[in-house]
Amino acid sequence: MPQPQKTPSQHNSTLYISPLVNNRQNEVFVTPPNPAAKIFGSPGSENTTSFFNVDRNVTNNGNQSKDSQPLSQAEKLRLWRHDALMQHQYKTAEFIGDKVLALTSDPNDAFWLAQVYFSSGNYLRAKSLLMSKPEFEKSVSCRYLAAFCLIKLELWDDALDLIGESNPFRRDEQYQIRNSDGGIKLESSMCYLRGLIFANQNNFDKAKEAYKEAVFVDVKCFEAFNELITNNLMTPSEEWEFITQLNYSDADNNDELVKLLYSSRLSKYFNVHKFDEAETILKQDYDLGDNTDILLARADYLYVQCNFDECLSVCERVLSKDQYNFSILPNYLSCLHELGGKNKLFLKAHQLAESHPTDAMTWLAIGVYYLSINKIIEARRFFSKATLLNPNFGQAWIGFAHTFAAEGEHEQAISAYAFAARLFPGTHLPNLFLGMQHLLMDNLNLAEEYLSTSYQICNTDPLLLNELGVIHFHKNDLVRAEAFFKEALTASKNLNSDSQTWICLHANLGHVYRKANELHRALECYNQVLRISDKNDTNLLASIGLVYLKLGNHLKSISFLHDALAISPSDPVATDLLKRALSSNQHYSKPFFDSASNKIRTMRANSISTTSPSMEPQKNDDLEDVGDIARSLKMGEVSSDEDEEVMDIESD
Amino acid sequence: METDESIDQLRTDLLKAQITLSNINLLQASKWCAEAINGLSNASNITQIPTLEFDPYDLQDYSRFILAKSYFDVKEFDRCAHSLVGCKSGNAVFLKLYSKILSLDKKMAEENDGSDLNSKLSKIIQEIESFNSSSNPNHFLYYLLGIIYNKKRNYKLAQRNLLAALKLFPYNWSCWQELINSIIDFDEAMELLNKVKSSKSSLNPSIMFNFFEVVLLQEFYQQSVDVNQTLEKLLSIFPNFNFLKIQKFLICYHSLDYYQAESIFDQILEDDPLRIDDLDTYSNMLYVMEKKSKLSFLAQYSSNIDKFKPETCCIIANYHSMKGEHEKAIMYYKRALILNKNSLSAWTLMGHEFVELKNSHAAIESYRRAVDINPKDFRAWYGLGQAYEVLDMHLYSLYYYQRATNLQPTDKRMWQAIGNCYEKIGKFDESLKSFKKALSIDNTNKPQESHGSYDPYICYKLASIYEKIASVKECYKYMKLCFDQELDWGITDETSKARLWLARYALELKKYEEAYELTKDLNHNNAHDIEEARAIAREARNRMNK
Repeated sequence: MPQPQKTPSQHNSTLYISPLVNNRQNEVFVTPPNPAAKIFGSPGSENTTSFFNVDRNVTNNGNQSKDSQPLSQAEKLRLWRHDALMQHQYKTAEFIGDKVLALTSDPNDAFWLAQVYFSSGNYLRAKSLLMSKPEFEKSVSCRYLAAFCLIKLELWDDALDLIGESNPFRRDEQYQIRNSDGGIKLESSMCYLRGLIFANQNNFDKAKEAYKEAVFVDVKCFEAFNELITNNLMTPSEEWEFITQLNYSDADNNDELVKLLYSSRLSKYFNVHKFDEAETILKQDYDLGDNTDILLARADYLYVQCNFDECLSVCERVLSKDQYNFSILPNYLSCLHELGGKNKLFLKAHQLAESHPTDAMTWLAIGVYYLSINKIIEARRFFSKATLLNPNFGQAWIGFAHTFAAEGEHEQAISAYAFAARLFPGTHLPNLFLGMQHLLMDNLNLAEEYLSTSYQICNTDPLLLNELGVIHFHKNDLVRAEAFFKEALTASKNLNSDSQTWICLHANLGHVYRKANELHRALECYNQVLRISDKNDTNLLASIGLVYLKLGNHLKSISFLHDALAISPSDPVATDLLKRALSSNQHYSKPFFDSASNKIRTMRANSISTTSPSMEPQKNDDLEDVGDIARSLKMGEVSSDEDEEVMDIESD
Repeated sequence: METDESIDQLRTDLLKAQITLSNINLLQASKWCAEAINGLSNASNITQIPTLEFDPYDLQDYSRFILAKSYFDVKEFDRCAHSLVGCKSGNAVFLKLYSKILSLDKKMAEENDGSDLNSKLSKIIQEIESFNSSSNPNHFLYYLLGIIYNKKRNYKLAQRNLLAALKLFPYNWSCWQELINSIIDFDEAMELLNKVKSSKSSLNPSIMFNFFEVVLLQEFYQQSVDVNQTLEKLLSIFPNFNFLKIQKFLICYHSLDYYQAESIFDQILEDDPLRIDDLDTYSNMLYVMEKKSKLSFLAQYSSNIDKFKPETCCIIANYHSMKGEHEKAIMYYKRALILNKNSLSAWTLMGHEFVELKNSHAAIESYRRAVDINPKDFRAWYGLGQAYEVLDMHLYSLYYYQRATNLQPTDKRMWQAIGNCYEKIGKFDESLKSFKKALSIDNTNKPQESHGSYDPYICYKLASIYEKIASVKECYKYMKLCFDQELDWGITDETSKARLWLARYALELKKYEEAYELTKDLNHNNAHDIEEARAIAREARNRMNK
């Protein structure tokens, strides 16, 4: 029967009206076209010329099976058009498509002709074709493509008018129709377009809802899922909740795989064990251990854990497989920045500038390079260029803001961070940075506000908990500060213990104990830091000096303060403390004399020349020592009243 | 006295240790071991050469290990480390990390900012810790941890790791040396020695522990019977081991027994004429002994052996210093420090030279570096104190003198310096205490003089402080004591001053005869004092005559 192509409903995909699928035999239609073992090969991988390898089946089947209808003239032209489109021979496709449309004036043929225009970048023409006749406009597929054309033309309002502000097909939650052809439901795709439009109108809440709906309607709409995740539209807990609510049955027998793949993309601040689980299953059962996306998820995970070395090696593995993989680049660049790989950054930036001069990522790379070699002004210029090329590029905005922060221009840094915070409502980082900037400007209340906003989004980031602790420290609320630092330490349990964050946490906890006068515990914390960190933190050494001073161990205190000053000779805090330590050293001579007497005694004990008479002068000493004790008791502690603020803010 | 069998056993152990050490490229330790073997009596008495033992991991990594070893031998440290990535055996991991550290060290020296290189050390620590906690721990890795913690000045951890290493493998002398470097306080040293001695560990009755004890106590300037006994015992086992002779030399040198020390070193030079190690210490001693011709001979001699050894440079610097050419001396010290930035005595000696040139700031800088490298060097601490005293920063100098005194509490010079300091900052009680201590030390160091001899300078100091705090009785006591020293010490500035004071005091108390007696033949001090003495004598005589 020479059936006219049916217009697809919103539950179908365009596969339904594809000339190839349309002619498929029933059995082909039901079973997946590829053998089960090769489900992961892209369709058509064995066939170089055509779109779906089904079409070989079609011709074979068409020749072999007797009851198949001979193809009509229009259908042959459609196949011709389709193959031309797939081979990117747009002139042919346009020429033939135009004739088919003229012959049939079927909306589906209009759709395919518009598809040709769209592929060749002629959006305006595609749009005007699709909107030329009312019957075209009624077709869901045509409307979808028309809206997409408007989006490409950046006519956001028109596009929204065309597809409507909300999903017209929405039903009650229970009612789910499985689409039968295995493609992406057009309803879902329309929701995705709606999301795109809202996002470009800076209406991120609505965009988030639209994207979520797209994934709810059809879990295969990865485009929407990807937008949700890469733009951090949801908070980490929302993400995990969202992923459990999805209906994976749309993906047929791939449901498990899709679920695992999606969960490996989620935020790594949360549910780490679930991520590990997903990763192992993907590796073992599906043998995807070497797949780029799994490695990418791994790299994200390592980055969050501050394990930069490992992360870098994963990134390099990905890049060696696929050197133009852009999704790994942000991680790669940050790792190189953290580890001081200036030379590699230079090379990568140059490669990118040669191969992709118009991509925002290129300019991000260049900016990061300049940031690494401490040329802040140049770095800022390139970050801002990246944001010009892609205004929704969060990393570039944050880098841009960092350049201001690095120069201590807090106001400008704040406005840039605020912009980033608006772009990424689901990530706590911009708010965290905002809080840090306000903290630096001593706006404790504002800082606390931002940090608690950030805390509501993600309460497991040690860095954030650290900042909250710092706030409470500054507010002199030592109990809460200690609580926050301890919470941060538990959160950082699986953090790489030589990372800056870990060191900083221990140091800060030490400061809290120091201020709370729990000196021995403070020393314990400081010693932890000394064990791991490099020896060039003036602040830390000065604090240790202060603690020893409070403990009355002047010699040790002085020697630590000297170490501190050896690193930065003009540090005012250490200089001041040293002055005090030295001047109180003169008052507390007793421990010195005592230890010296002891030493003399031990040395005498195993020395040849002397016998007992050396004890005589000792007695004299002891008498005087009593006087010393009395005097020192009278004087009380000189130094402990006003200690300097030696708290350091760790900015990352 | 050791039996022949036990010496043979020791020889076998040392041979085995030497092979192990040279296999893993611990060159200094292996050199020490080989010297020790040759220092044994009848050294040629070897019947069998032991071979290395390999575990399966070693065999698995063997081909890469020898590759890495040959890279190491030609000093391509980074390449060596890289060729061992992924190896599982402890020795391979050690060689990898060891060469990494060497390369880091080299880069730090070359680039002068080791800030970001430093952070790599903590990664090495982690790798070692994870290795040693997982499979059977490797003692070389413990040793490496000890080195790193010493570098970070985390001495407690360093000691723990080094001891762990030594319990597994006691024949690594570099490890013992590192342990000695990690002990910066005499109390700590005694505590450690006693702990090991009282414990039942494998280290306790061992030859290597004896070596350690001798060197440790020597470095803290101890001259007790025990040390000498242990040393003699070791010498009976290793009669030809120059290392031990050097220890003996150093002990004599520290106890200021220069002539004995000189003869020991001459003997060593005869045995091993091309040995440059410790030659610089010898030259220091010659400098103190003012043996100019011998020192200049030594300078020529050592520069004929090797001009570009830090020891040679120190000797030449000493020579120039003796000739009063301080700039040249400094130049040579600087050269020594370029050759080896951890050259122990060069920093201190350079500090002394700067003091000679009255460049206190440069002197302070040098001394500071010296105590950074070797916190046991009391001379550098003392030097710092002196330099700050010149700059009138008495609080600082007090602190440094205290450090020096902590190391050398039985040296009266330290206590004198501290007493002076306390006096300058107006802490008279403490000052008195310090001077009394100096006096008592001085006294106990010379027990043979039965009636007790006191340094008149200290006595005078004490008296003058008592005068300041208006305690006339005490003042009189010490002035008298000071004056009494004239019998032992002859007439000095201080005794004369004391005599003058006593005369004045007698005059006040109207004891004219005594005053006259005291002043009548005072003619030692400066003109002003002599004038005053004459005036007192005249007055006393006048009053007497009345």
